[in-house]
Amino acid sequence: MSIKRLFALALTAALLFALGTGAAAAAAAAAADFPTKPIRIINYVAPGGIMDITTRKFTEIAAKYTKAVFVVENRTGAGGLVGMEYVLSQPADGYTIFAPTGSVVIQVVSTKSNVDKYIWGFDWVSMLMMDPECIITNSKLKINTWEDVVADAKAKGGKQIWVGPSTGGNDHLMAMKVWDKADISAVWIPFESGPAAMAALMGGQGVAYVGNPADIMGRPDLKIAAVSSSARLPQFPDAPTFKELGIAGLDEESMWRGFCVKKGTPPEAVKWLQDLVEKVAADPEWRKFFEDQGIEVVSYTTEKFTSLVKKDLEDALKYFTQFGIL
Amino acid sequence: MDSLLGLLRATGQLLSLQPLLLITVGISVGILAGAMPGVSPSMGVALMVPFTYAMDPSMALVYLAAIYLAANYGGAITAIMINTPGTPSAVVTSFDGHPLCVQGRAREALGLALVASFVGGAFGTLILMLFAAPLASVALKFWPAEYFSLAVLGLSTIASMGGENALKSAMSAALGLLVCTVGMDPVLGVNRFTFGNVNLFDGFEFIPMLIGLLALSEIFVEVEEFDFRPQKVEDEAGSKWPGFLYYWKLRAAMLRASIIGTIVGIFPGAGATIAAFISYDMEKRISKTPERFGKGIPEGVVAGEAADSASVGGALVPMLTLGIPGSATAAVLMGALMIHDLQPGPELFVKNPDVIYKLYASLFIGNTVMLILGIWGSKLWINVTRVRKQLLFPLIFAFAMIGSYAVNSSMWDVMVCLGFGIVGYILKRYNYPLPPFVLGMVLGEMAEMNLRRAVMMAGPTAVFQRPISVTMLAVAALSFVIPVISARRKRAAKAKGSVAA
Repeated sequence: MSIKRLFALALTAALLFALGTGAAAAAAAAAADFPTKPIRIINYVAPGGIMDITTRKFTEIAAKYTKAVFVVENRTGAGGLVGMEYVLSQPADGYTIFAPTGSVVIQVVSTKSNVDKYIWGFDWVSMLMMDPECIITNSKLKINTWEDVVADAKAKGGKQIWVGPSTGGNDHLMAMKVWDKADISAVWIPFESGPAAMAALMGGQGVAYVGNPADIMGRPDLKIAAVSSSARLPQFPDAPTFKELGIAGLDEESMWRGFCVKKGTPPEAVKWLQDLVEKVAADPEWRKFFEDQGIEVVSYTTEKFTSLVKKDLEDALKYFTQFGIL
Repeated sequence: MDSLLGLLRATGQLLSLQPLLLITVGISVGILAGAMPGVSPSMGVALMVPFTYAMDPSMALVYLAAIYLAANYGGAITAIMINTPGTPSAVVTSFDGHPLCVQGRAREALGLALVASFVGGAFGTLILMLFAAPLASVALKFWPAEYFSLAVLGLSTIASMGGENALKSAMSAALGLLVCTVGMDPVLGVNRFTFGNVNLFDGFEFIPMLIGLLALSEIFVEVEEFDFRPQKVEDEAGSKWPGFLYYWKLRAAMLRASIIGTIVGIFPGAGATIAAFISYDMEKRISKTPERFGKGIPEGVVAGEAADSASVGGALVPMLTLGIPGSATAAVLMGALMIHDLQPGPELFVKNPDVIYKLYASLFIGNTVMLILGIWGSKLWINVTRVRKQLLFPLIFAFAMIGSYAVNSSMWDVMVCLGFGIVGYILKRYNYPLPPFVLGMVLGEMAEMNLRRAVMMAGPTAVFQRPISVTMLAVAALSFVIPVISARRKRAAKAKGSVAA
């Protein structure tokens, strides 16, 4: 290819690009006072991750209710700290939203990072859903009901193996709570990801996996031995709750997902987002997508969301200290 | 019989204008994504997921699978032409592909990579179709002990990679392993060498490291040599597009590589890169002319590339049968399926068999489209050799920077790329081979994490308690020892010979 042709090609590409972005910006400006330009949602997981799917679904449904343009960006690393760091470095104008899950808050604690910066540097404005935590076992193994797990744990005296994603994450914290309340002990073997740990459970490496109800969908060998919910989930009627199994205080452990913005974001931008979340939360397609997985769709706003974040912080600090992670 | 009918029906459905167009676009996007250093196959697929929202779920899968397939081939193009592998697994392709290109045999190298990708891709798909269920149960028998031993087996390939200087090659691998220790330790969450820097919590990002180490170091060395005569321009008479017979002679090598690629691909977390390294190593060991490896031997190109592409079919095995992604790209595919309300896993065979058949059919059709597009495209890519170095090097440099930035949109990664460029340059200047470094980087975390997991589960002797694990460790030990012994014998024989003379 001659240099001239190469140059011409590059120029055309640049021109097309400029045209494209220009048009998008103009369309957004015509829509409302806020937003006047595309809004970026910063994800801390890789493409294909749970929160990535959630945010992309959100932008898809939101398109029904607003003309605003959303761009989903993945800034992965350090269990969310890299993404948070990035959002904190952007102006607090509501055009950069962070998409956290409960796991991010716990990550801040387990890495001994600055809570004032990474947690209270944000306004926790919209909680989207709560995914109940549950204990999953392999029905092909001998030990597969909650009673089996407890009996086996007592027999093995602390050598029982539980598998799950990273140490010091949301699911590890849940395991600690369960061990504490059921008065058993076990070893936590961390894997690179939830699915990798589930493969380990399927292969019989451990007896229990901590995750969410949707994890057993499409994996017929796995079953829910106990779920953290005040009543049985309609989508998983066979899964007993902790309360039924005689364990108190584990009725509302969940992996929540939501949106937060940098502290100091103008109230009208926050209000706009909260209104949009409310509309999306009422959307039948949105509800069905998540409710099929046993997830409770909500649209909590700042006050309630903040109090839940506070509880997560306290729990993480308490149990990580008790189990010697901190 | 049912499945054959299903496959035929699905093939028929895909052989109409819209699906074919989709596959063709997917393959083109995939080749470009693969060729671009910094855009890995998983990123290439992920970037295209939003475009599939409006599509029918099975069409979305067909489109994304086409990208996955082609991206693993695309990496070979830049590996051969400019010694800058576009994907991590294409590193192996560059060992012999680039030397061929330098010798003015770029047409051969490109053709080999393409045909090997085609054969590997088709083989992997065939195995996926025929043996998915039994293979999945094998994958589950791999416990951390086996993964550790597999990593050690992979590392043992440096023994044959080092060439004349085994010690330097071992040093290089050790450096690669050391680099992996930077970051938060995933078992206990302890920070290692992070100095409180959040960017280092996950260690160095792989792709910027790879680009710096291989592409930048190459530029630095070339700039230092300051030999800016035009590259050996294609000698029109000497280098032709090879014909069918040429490839037919390599059928055994391609088959061996495809088998290894598929098998290694099945194990979640092992992946294309390890497959390519192991396959290359084996090809070199059984070759009658091992000394020609690394200097441009067709078998070398084929070994890496066929294994690389065959791993795609392998990685889909656990995804379809267990709902566990076999590779980073398969994880993205799974996410895309879920967005379309399809639950990946064995139930997919019962609930949506048409989707599965369409996926199989599209992999076959996509493979063929890739072959056609590749033959046509190779005529374009060959022109890279005509670009003057004064232009080529700045372009590669710019691509390296953009590619590193693109991974996480982070300037930190650009610095990582530059830093490792300098490290690579220093290693090259002192004749330390870089491939062992890359292998160390790829295998370090896998070896460490799985050893620790195994020990946590079964105590300090964990890796010696399971038969498959012990076998692999024994093979690894042998492959370390044999080259050393045979080298010593040769030396002894030589000494004897010279004394006798």
